[in-house]
Amino acid sequence: MNLPLTALRNGETGVITSTDFSSEHRGMCEHRAGRGWKKHFRVARFAKRLSDLGLTPGTKVTVVKSAPFNGPLEVSVRGSRLAIGRGMASRILVDVER
Amino acid sequence: MSNKHFRIALAGNANVGKSVIFNQLTGLHQHIGNWPGKTVEKAEGTLHFKGYTIDIIDLPGIYSLSTFSIEELISREYIATEKPELVINVVDASLLERNLFFTLQLLELETPLLIAVNQVDMAKKKGIIVDYEKAEKILGVPVVPTVAVSGKGIYHMLETAIEVIEKKTKMEPLKPRYGQEIEERIEDLIILLGKIQLRYPVRWVAIKLLEEDEEVEKEVLEVSPEIVATAEKLRDELEQLHGHSCPTVVTSERYQVASRVSGEIQKITEPLKTPLREKLHRVTTHRILGFPIMLAAVLAVFVAIFTFGDFTSALLGDFFFGLKPAFDSVLGTGIVGELIWGGVMEGIIGGITVALPYILPFYFILYLFEDSGYLSRVAFLMDNLMHKMGLHGKAFIPVMLSFGCNVPGCLGCRIMETARERLLTAFVVTLVPCAATSVIILGLVGAHVGIEWALALYIINLIIIFVLGRIAFKALPGEPTELIMEMSDYRIPHLPTVAKQTWFRLQEFIVMAFPLIIAGSLVIKFAEVMNLLEPIANIMSPITVTWLGLPLMAGIALIFGILRKELTLIMLATLFAPIPLANAMSSVEMIVFTLVAMLYIPCVATIGALVKEFGWKKALLITVFEILFALLVGGIAFRILTI
Repeated sequence: MNLPLTALRNGETGVITSTDFSSEHRGMCEHRAGRGWKKHFRVARFAKRLSDLGLTPGTKVTVVKSAPFNGPLEVSVRGSRLAIGRGMASRILVDVER
Repeated sequence: MSNKHFRIALAGNANVGKSVIFNQLTGLHQHIGNWPGKTVEKAEGTLHFKGYTIDIIDLPGIYSLSTFSIEELISREYIATEKPELVINVVDASLLERNLFFTLQLLELETPLLIAVNQVDMAKKKGIIVDYEKAEKILGVPVVPTVAVSGKGIYHMLETAIEVIEKKTKMEPLKPRYGQEIEERIEDLIILLGKIQLRYPVRWVAIKLLEEDEEVEKEVLEVSPEIVATAEKLRDELEQLHGHSCPTVVTSERYQVASRVSGEIQKITEPLKTPLREKLHRVTTHRILGFPIMLAAVLAVFVAIFTFGDFTSALLGDFFFGLKPAFDSVLGTGIVGELIWGGVMEGIIGGITVALPYILPFYFILYLFEDSGYLSRVAFLMDNLMHKMGLHGKAFIPVMLSFGCNVPGCLGCRIMETARERLLTAFVVTLVPCAATSVIILGLVGAHVGIEWALALYIINLIIIFVLGRIAFKALPGEPTELIMEMSDYRIPHLPTVAKQTWFRLQEFIVMAFPLIIAGSLVIKFAEVMNLLEPIANIMSPITVTWLGLPLMAGIALIFGILRKELTLIMLATLFAPIPLANAMSSVEMIVFTLVAMLYIPCVATIGALVKEFGWKKALLITVFEILFALLVGGIAFRILTI
């Protein structure tokens, strides 16, 4: 099943299938001038940050827990522990076996 | 004996013990400032070793050499263009895969490299054993184990560093190879790039072009737009082939190399029982327990600081004011004596009685918390609340600082990633009631009107922060960013490093705030000596008396508050003497006065901090806005309360 990272239960592990929300944006950016392009840029910047921290396609990622009141997720990836804002986490797609 | 001069740069991820190594190497011979034109800390130091003079530069802790943050840009600019004789890459032995991802990028920059595998003791406890010889063979550069906190391996690291610099060891650094599709395109770009002059290694530029690196692209664009166009075409091809954006594909393959190398050089056996630091992590980030623990920790810190601070401050104050008779006998009690004592000395005393008793322990505990890893847990817990203001969890840290003093709060905004967030956070920070503001709230309203009114003022202040923060967030152009942060393992803080950081922050505070406080108190003292205060109060009377309904004297007190907010209260008492405050002002006047004092201006030191971090224009804008806003709120409150 291909799900956003936020849909994983605590302790569940999935394999990342996509981290860049940029491909879907790109089409939009070419049509819309200015703002759209900037948005793509910004999103790409943070997608880059995520992959720099080890969240790349094909990587196993475990959701350890989420902070209360819809707070960030604590994930474990490549042996390190990261906190990721919920909005961004919802755009990371993972493949889970259920 | 030869006396040769070298530069060594320390580079690596955050939380790998890099600054501890820096401290071990340079001891007291260090200088902390800013990178020219940037608000990023630059730590330099000098070391004399076996007849060599070595300048050590501690680069910021980063995870990649891309363009995500100013820190990353500064680091790669430094390495590529300043060309230090050696870069020591400090890596965390228990997080080899991610650390090697960074190492690979240093190798791509083709800088002379030495790898210090740090915290090997911690890794061993986690069941991770690193094979250094194998690592050396695979990476083609020297690899030395270190335990920075105890100084183990540092001497050996230095000896190896000298050998590398003197080219006594033959090295064949690994050239990270990507998949065939990427390599072919890198080759294509290298051929094109060979025709132009570059500041960086050609292969690195080729890779960066495929990674859509905006800075490199800009530079190449100036010389040869065709190459950028070709790169774009090649990126599109790779995106078609892989189904992901090109930067992601490159990063992903680089991580594959890091993963393969780390797999080959380390042996991992899972420890049997859950270690204490892991349990501590679980409890402090627990969805229910986490909050009371945080609250208790923050309260304990404030109580401790204020208990210590009040005691020490009074002690220091008594001591310094005890010097006054001696001063008077030397300078006389004429205008000059009055100016020097009342202006200069009282400014200095004011600064000292704040800086030492409050700021010093404040910074110390802060760095203790940071070094232990607790601050990132606090950011994790508070993320959602800060989101309501358009900020994220990390912003809670400067906000928390500001309840003590707005100056460290403003400087603490550096932890935010983008310029927009730094400014937004700083704006919120200047509205937070600092310790001095609390003195007014509690000492005037709390003591004379009622504690419930004092509490109400705090709540109003918090609501105002929230509403204004939200409006500023909506008004300032740009996208909100989200929390991406590492929560590194809890560890015992390294006291010398913490102490040094505290010391440098204290210095920074003194250098910035003292001249402003002294100059300010000199100006006000001068006005007082020249009997200008009353005319000024009269000029202000349409605002203070008519609009705010305050006594005429309150205007003078508010002027003093620009220096340090608690002075407003002291001045009120002095100006009304011998009539006690309780009889001199009505409840409504006290509430309105406190409300205005709470909001009306960041004190002169805070304005200084704003100027330092954001420039004159923005500092002035925030200041003027807050004055007008405070007057508006005060006027409205006066009218509501007198209905």
